[in-house]
This record gives sequence, C-alpha cells and structure tokens, in this order.
Amino acid sequence: MGRLIVVACGAGINTSTIAEEMIRNRLDEEGLEDVTVKRILMADIDGFVGQMDLIVSMMKIYREFDVPQVKGMPFLIGTREEKDVLLDEIVKIIRSLD
Amino acid sequence: MLVIDPSFMLLNHEASDAEAVIHALSERLFEYGAVKESYGEETIARERKHPTGLPTKPFAIAFPHAEAEGVEQSSLAVATLSSPVRFLNMGDPDEALDVEIVFLLANNAPEEQVQALRQLALIFSDTGKLLHLHNLDSKKLAAEWLRQELLQTE
Repeated sequence: MGRLIVVACGAGINTSTIAEEMIRNRLDEEGLEDVTVKRILMADIDGFVGQMDLIVSMMKIYREFDVPQVKGMPFLIGTREEKDVLLDEIVKIIRSLD
Repeated sequence: MLVIDPSFMLLNHEASDAEAVIHALSERLFEYGAVKESYGEETIARERKHPTGLPTKPFAIAFPHAEAEGVEQSSLAVATLSSPVRFLNMGDPDEALDVEIVFLLANNAPEEQVQALRQLALIFSDTGKLLHLHNLDSKKLAAEWLRQELLQTE
C-alpha cells in the first residue's frame, strides 16, 4: 500500500531537501518503492492530514497529529551513525504500518 | 561555485549580538562586490523570522542567509567568535544557543543554496572540523581550508 512521508521545514533554504534525499535513498535500498517522500512547508501541513503516514520535522512542531513524528535534525547536523539510526527508525515505522 | 576570499574571514571576532556579526560579515561581502548593500539588513530580517542556529558539537553554529535577489556572486563569509553570541535554534526557536562560528551564505540561485548547505552540513556534523576552523588565526589559511573542504564534495 502506498505510504506518504512528509518532510516539513519552515521556509527558504529547504533543509528538508537534504533529509528527503537521504530518506529516499534508504527506502530504495530497502525495496520500499511504493513509499512517497514529499517536502512540505510546516504552514501547509493541515492539507496532508489523513494522507500522511509519518512526519519528519526539521523544526519544532507545537501540535499533535495522529501519525508518528520524528525529528529530522540529524540529517543536517548528525554523525553518520546518528543518521543511520534515524533512517532505521523511519524504516521500522513504515514497515510497522502494513 | 562559491567565492571564499580571505577578506571574508573574521577570525576571533568580537561581537555583541547576532545582528552585529551578520552586519560585519555582509560588509565584507559588500565591499568585495559579492552582495548588494541591502543584503545585511535582509539577512537580519530573515534571521528574526526563521532562525538559523544549530545545536552542533562541540559548540553551536549559525548559518544566516537571505534571498538570492541581493546576491551578485555566490559567496561564503565566516566569523569565528572570541566569545559566544546568542542565536535561536532553527529546530526550536524557544531555545537560545551560544554560537561560536557563523557561516554567512550568499547564493545566486535557490538550487545553489541547497547545494551549499549540503556541503556545509558535512562540516557542521564534524566536531573535529568545527574545532579546527575555530582555532585558525590566518585568514588565508581559513579561506583555503574552507575551499578545500567544500570543493572536495563536489
């Protein structure tokens, strides 16, 4: 079943682009091709309620959503190890949805 | 292709606050002709709305920047601070960080912006590299080191 991961950031430089790339590469490695990764602005997140299965956030989220949330900062400033741990977690969450 | 000139390096720089650092760095870029005069103010305004502090180790850093419009030549100016300056955390704007290195980015095109950040992120996530940069006291060496680091990953 097609899943949707949204990567949310505030604006501008698109720190979410870096996260998106890494997530996409790992998903491909894992053979999870029917999972979509989409960059969104935090301001537009309401439009994805009901569609998104996981939120990866580059900034603080002040609200609760019905779906799991992970912090995406390690993709920007984490060590190789920290990035891998985060990617492991994302894969685990996605796999657990089916 | 980022211009990283020795004159863009402010080492062991003393500044009272984030605005002062951003001003000092954008002045260097402006004098070189890399950005328009308004770039400093635009960057300060943007920093207020979207803070760029990052909780890196062994000390926090910041990467202020503004839109491509104010940029004539893509360039990077860096300040290593003699005492920490407060920036707000990009990931949690309620949190203040004691920043010791500020990377002022100026990019001509949005696509370049992402590329530059991707390359800089490799420095941001490396404790040894941040320490190394912070300890440099030669503008020439600092500029050379940065060019080497950032070009290597192309």
